[in-house]
Amino acid sequence: MRREHTGDLAELYALGALSEIERRAVEAHLSECADCAREVALAERDVALIASLETRHDAPPELAARIDGLFRANRPNRMIPAALAAVLILGLLPSVYLWPENRRMHDAMVAQNAAMDRLASGSHRTVGFRSEGAPLGAEVMYPPDGSWYVVVVRNATKALQVAWMHDGERTMLGNAVPRGNVAMLYLPKSHRMDRLALMDGDRVVAEAELPWQRTPPDRPTVRSE
Amino acid sequence: MDVHSHEEHGDEALAAAFAAHDPWAFGEAYRRNASLLYSVAHNVLSNPEDAKDCVADALARLWRSSRPYSAARGNLRNFLVVCVRNEAISRRRRHVRRTRVEERLAGMALDRDEHATNDPIERDVVRRAIFALPPEQRMPIALAYYSGKTHTEIAAELHEPLGTIKSRIKLGLRKLAASLQSLAERGSEPR
Repeated sequence: MRREHTGDLAELYALGALSEIERRAVEAHLSECADCAREVALAERDVALIASLETRHDAPPELAARIDGLFRANRPNRMIPAALAAVLILGLLPSVYLWPENRRMHDAMVAQNAAMDRLASGSHRTVGFRSEGAPLGAEVMYPPDGSWYVVVVRNATKALQVAWMHDGERTMLGNAVPRGNVAMLYLPKSHRMDRLALMDGDRVVAEAELPWQRTPPDRPTVRSE
Repeated sequence: MDVHSHEEHGDEALAAAFAAHDPWAFGEAYRRNASLLYSVAHNVLSNPEDAKDCVADALARLWRSSRPYSAARGNLRNFLVVCVRNEAISRRRRHVRRTRVEERLAGMALDRDEHATNDPIERDVVRRAIFALPPEQRMPIALAYYSGKTHTEIAAELHEPLGTIKSRIKLGLRKLAASLQSLAERGSEPR
């Protein structure tokens, strides 16, 4: 796109009808090409006109202060050393006592967000865990190359361990810890595994067999339950 | 240059300062268009908190860009409206994708109307104008403007070639803007 002109993408850009990748490519090109920038400006004028005739809402006053704060960082501020000292005394020192718990919560939220992004962005299989042949309400999701896994247990009342069952052995992968009534374990970097188990201590609660045949292109997600 | 003297600058001076990446111009550009930019985000996202985050993120992204705006882009207000609107559409797409996944995990049905356009009476002006477009342009424009779909998704949904959809959106947008122009000039702007 940097070398190609935007052509008939100008209106699509202004309307927001391009994908993220296309939009960023157009923006990169517009910063270098005045002709295309003028073309897009015409489409932006039309879209801005339409948008300006839609429902108006009063901007919240606190938003102006927040936006001013974004650009105030560039200005010299003699109060910064004093403000830093206040942050240390009032904020940082007490937080030392809460650090381990905060860190666990933070890590869990980061892992859950990362798992959601993975599941939302690409094709993946979904396979249910089964307990003595019956579905358990637990699933494992994984991409065709087996590079990551998300294990989800619904209506979980306690943490369960997730194990990789292979060659007559079990390798413990981690704990699916409940948050609300759903427990989740995200394994961001992994390899192909054929069989997973949910464990409660030494007891196998349920198992999932993971098939690896190619996903049909018109059915990106397969449910085996 | 203090804050009060900035208010005396015209739109062209503000645009030049914005293009030069002058910090005061970013804050001033928001203040002059606060209601419009917030409304654009709110009308796409239907949520005040998301709308606030969206406007702030859009301006922060421009601030981080090395050369986000130039005089060739024309009117700064139009440029900002499209930037905020594109940011809002991106957030909405991400939200819809995540909601689908999260609700599937929770075993719940997805309410596909969760982002249905709000306040149908107020938005009737634009809706009527879209409805007045020729049928072949009406659906692509409506899908692009209200649903946040990409042109590829629109072509697939309407079973039309991509090139056809592109040209219909181009023609439809020009017609829509022309039909709304007179309305805007009659005093709907600024509100």
